[in-house]
Amino acid sequence: MHDTEQTHPLRVPRHIQQQPVQLVAAQAEQFAATFEALASAVDTVVLGKQEVVRLALTAMFAQGHILLEDVPGTGKTTLARTIAAAVSGQWRRIQFTPDLLPSDVSGVTIFNQASGAFEFHPGPVFANIVIADEINRASPKTQSALLEVMEEGRVTVDGNPHQVPQPFLVVATQNPVEMDGTYRLPEAQLDRFLVKLSVGYPVEAAEIEVLRGTHQRSPEHLSPVVDTDTVAQMAEMAKHVYIAEPLYAYLVQLANATRNHPQVAVGVSPRGLIALTRAASVFALSQGRTYIIPEDVKALAGPVFTHRIQLAPDAAMRGTTGAAIVADAFEQVPVPLPASAA
Amino acid sequence: MSAPGIAAPARRGRRTRYRLRVATVAACLTLMCVVAGAVAARVYHGQTLLLLVAGAAFGAFAIGFALRNRPSFLAPSLSATGLAAYLLGAIVLTSDGTDPLGTTIVDALVNAVPRTLTALIPVEPVPDTVVVPVFLTWLAATLSCEFAIRYGRTLLGCLPPTLLYGAGLYLVGPNADAGPLFAVAFCVLAAAALAVTAAPPERRPDRDATVEGQAPSRTPALMGAVVTTTVLLAAVAVLGPAAARLVTTSPGDPREYVEPPQLTDIDLNPLVRIAQWAQFPDQELFKADTSADAWMRLAVLTKYDGTTWQAEGDFRTAGTVIPGAGEATYSADVEIIELGGKLVPAAADPAGVTDLPIAVNLYTKCLLTPDGLATGTSFHVDSALVPEPTGVETARPDLSDPATVTLPPAPPEIMTQIAEYINTTFDTPYERAQGLADFLSQHYAFDPEAPSGHDLPALGFFLGSPVTAGGQTGTSEQFAASYAIIARMVGLPSRVVVGFDVPAGSSTVTAAQGQAWPEVAFDGPGWVRFDPMPAAGVAPIPPEDTLEKMEEETPSPEEAEGGGGEAEDFNDEALEQDGDFNEEAGQEDAGIPRWVWYAAAALLLACVPLALKARRALRRRRRLRTGTPAERVAGAWAEVLAEAARAGVKIPDHANAEEAAVRLSALKADIGPLPRLVNAAAFAPGAVSEADADAATGLVAPFSRTIRHQVKWMRRVLT
Repeated sequence: MHDTEQTHPLRVPRHIQQQPVQLVAAQAEQFAATFEALASAVDTVVLGKQEVVRLALTAMFAQGHILLEDVPGTGKTTLARTIAAAVSGQWRRIQFTPDLLPSDVSGVTIFNQASGAFEFHPGPVFANIVIADEINRASPKTQSALLEVMEEGRVTVDGNPHQVPQPFLVVATQNPVEMDGTYRLPEAQLDRFLVKLSVGYPVEAAEIEVLRGTHQRSPEHLSPVVDTDTVAQMAEMAKHVYIAEPLYAYLVQLANATRNHPQVAVGVSPRGLIALTRAASVFALSQGRTYIIPEDVKALAGPVFTHRIQLAPDAAMRGTTGAAIVADAFEQVPVPLPASAA
Repeated sequence: MSAPGIAAPARRGRRTRYRLRVATVAACLTLMCVVAGAVAARVYHGQTLLLLVAGAAFGAFAIGFALRNRPSFLAPSLSATGLAAYLLGAIVLTSDGTDPLGTTIVDALVNAVPRTLTALIPVEPVPDTVVVPVFLTWLAATLSCEFAIRYGRTLLGCLPPTLLYGAGLYLVGPNADAGPLFAVAFCVLAAAALAVTAAPPERRPDRDATVEGQAPSRTPALMGAVVTTTVLLAAVAVLGPAAARLVTTSPGDPREYVEPPQLTDIDLNPLVRIAQWAQFPDQELFKADTSADAWMRLAVLTKYDGTTWQAEGDFRTAGTVIPGAGEATYSADVEIIELGGKLVPAAADPAGVTDLPIAVNLYTKCLLTPDGLATGTSFHVDSALVPEPTGVETARPDLSDPATVTLPPAPPEIMTQIAEYINTTFDTPYERAQGLADFLSQHYAFDPEAPSGHDLPALGFFLGSPVTAGGQTGTSEQFAASYAIIARMVGLPSRVVVGFDVPAGSSTVTAAQGQAWPEVAFDGPGWVRFDPMPAAGVAPIPPEDTLEKMEEETPSPEEAEGGGGEAEDFNDEALEQDGDFNEEAGQEDAGIPRWVWYAAAALLLACVPLALKARRALRRRRRLRTGTPAERVAGAWAEVLAEAARAGVKIPDHANAEEAAVRLSALKADIGPLPRLVNAAAFAPGAVSEADADAATGLVAPFSRTIRHQVKWMRRVLT
């Protein structure tokens, strides 16, 4: 995969990477095929969760980070590990605990007596895919160690910046029901996750199938389907998906609808809107399209918007959810189809 | 990634077309405001108010239109400033300058509403009466511009002019004709505005030059508006007369709620002045400089309760112009000497009064000055003299006003005898009216010393008592009062008028010229004056001689049954056979038979479904066969949604194509790849080919056929 710069159909030629590019259908179909191959590989380990798998992969190609939240035992870590295994890059896992220190995540500078100089020892965050297991068990100080690397792709230790390898993806998991000894992720941290997904229990048939092949289905047995270079190229291609002008207005109106909702304290941020656009671009390519349609926006608005919406206290007390707010927003904003404007 | 831009010339072309369309909408709405203002201006004197409301409409729209793309707070702020300046200008323009400007402005603003609603027709355009129409017109134009031009909601933009139109109709009340031309013009302008309606803000090229796609063509909407307007106009023209006959109530008049100027006792019953004037004939009442001989009326007395004749008390404040009068043919300069009271002498019908605040009785056209007459009061009055009545000999009595035929209870026996005499002796209404005048003038004598009084006993004494007892002599008070009552007894509508016989030129009118006279209403000629006063120097014939002779000549009941001398009932249906009285009625019935109107109306209504069907077919043809492939796909989508709506499945505007397809599946009709194609047409540049467009448009007809049975009958006909 490293020597296919001139021939790989997914590759965007370097001389036009800096200017607007109109993708052709063949590129989109190749993207969709690769995406589907990767998803199918993950599906062999994570059974019955095709939609979650595709959303997670969408986030990965959109160069966003994933927060998996669900009760224990539903396969969050397995999904994260399987995605890491399917991509032949470097991956690390960090088990977050209350006594975990920021330096345990980002790395430390140690004096080397032999060389007589300080040397930087990178932490586990220096990998293409970082699995942050049970991220909410670490202290806020340690959680904050991830802020810089998730947003800017680098770690600053002792005033020296250190770039993490690209592509860089954080797949974090957390348990929503067990709150003792945990620290709720701050809004700034949540906003850095492109999507928040819930795995959920598998359907009965899939669960039976899980029981049948417990030993055979493991991320360790999965062969990589793509390498990190290919992932980076596919992510680059997603930046060139065509977005019609009316859709920009549609997206902004959706965000405004969440901001102006009476039950919302803080609506979707511009970062959230950018995240949705990126995710929708990848989603469109995964469907073999070179352009975004409103269906893409609707499919991804829930995972992208929900965790970014801060409900008003009374609305939260009444059990209103972010998903309900997003649904309300879609009810309020007309889709820019030709017939609706005629 | 940037979207491929639209070619600059094409974008400019679209922008030019869009601006033309918006300008057309703005012009139509402006003219609607002008028409609405013109409706109210019909009750104003002159063209001043019409010009003011037209200026207000244009001014408000100009500000709103110029600021349509600026922040929304700017337009109201500047419009309010413009309104204040325009109101100030209107006040200055209509003020007579007698009061300081500040006082005039405050007075106009404080009293504008009550004075506008209570001023008599035609309303004088003064600061008090122009502020409200100008303000409302400006407000309506501003709101209309905001709704239609800024927000692109043309239908909502038509609401303020419509409300203004309604306010104008309320202000006019029953004081002007229906004004069908205004209504037609208003409807045509509204239809035109809706036909070339503005686009919503998100599709406005001059605000956002990077808008994608083609602006929707307005041809179908235009054709629909033309067809609908034509059908509506035809329906109004055909059904209007029939519908108007079904409406029996007149519009409400806000002036009815105003407390009219009150008459004093002496003005309520000025007939009592006659005896005083007869006793002091040299009393100088007023000076008059007139252009012709005329009877100047002081009061018209219609109500009689057996005791007094009373004037109508329904006076309303007027300006210098009296409504309803024709061109002035008579003028008089009057200076009051000793004439008292509030009633103002003027020849019928007064057309205008200057130098005196005036109220007028709209029915009798009598004048009143609220502050009363005083020595030295002078004024100028113009009148449209009532021409000599023609055709009165064959006219029927006008019985439209019950008050003019109401009889007092238990009139004296002598009145009944005289009435029987008149009925027996004369045939036609005019002969009876003139015969009654002749009877009184020939059988009774004028006596300036006769006591005052016109209650029933006094009149019975005047008519029936012997000369030796002081009867059979009286003043014009008794002559006119007796005539009016007896006229009502023979079926003639009557009233008593008090006034003066004023010669042409400059003269001093004395009490000797004061007189009361009766008038009889005829259908067509109107009120006709009769003179029952005896000629000077002619000895009266004892009335009992004439009446006894009549009794002797009266035939037996059997002979009377044969049609000998019974009183003729002019309202009897049998009289309809008499040619003398039926000419006009016959002409009325000679029109187009009513069933023709009904048939024409039914035919037009039957054409409505056909017109709608034709409109639908034209719209479908345009949508599916013209334009780029993307436009044809969009047209196919629009047709499918329209057909689904007719079948009762409405797609909300927040539904995307996939969701719409799910909803449409309830109709069990295949739309194939249409959702995918419409997404490609809307959101992918050049992604739709001619083959795709053919495939999309080819789906529409089978879809329509499949769901046809699910469209309700009424919707099939009326949508």
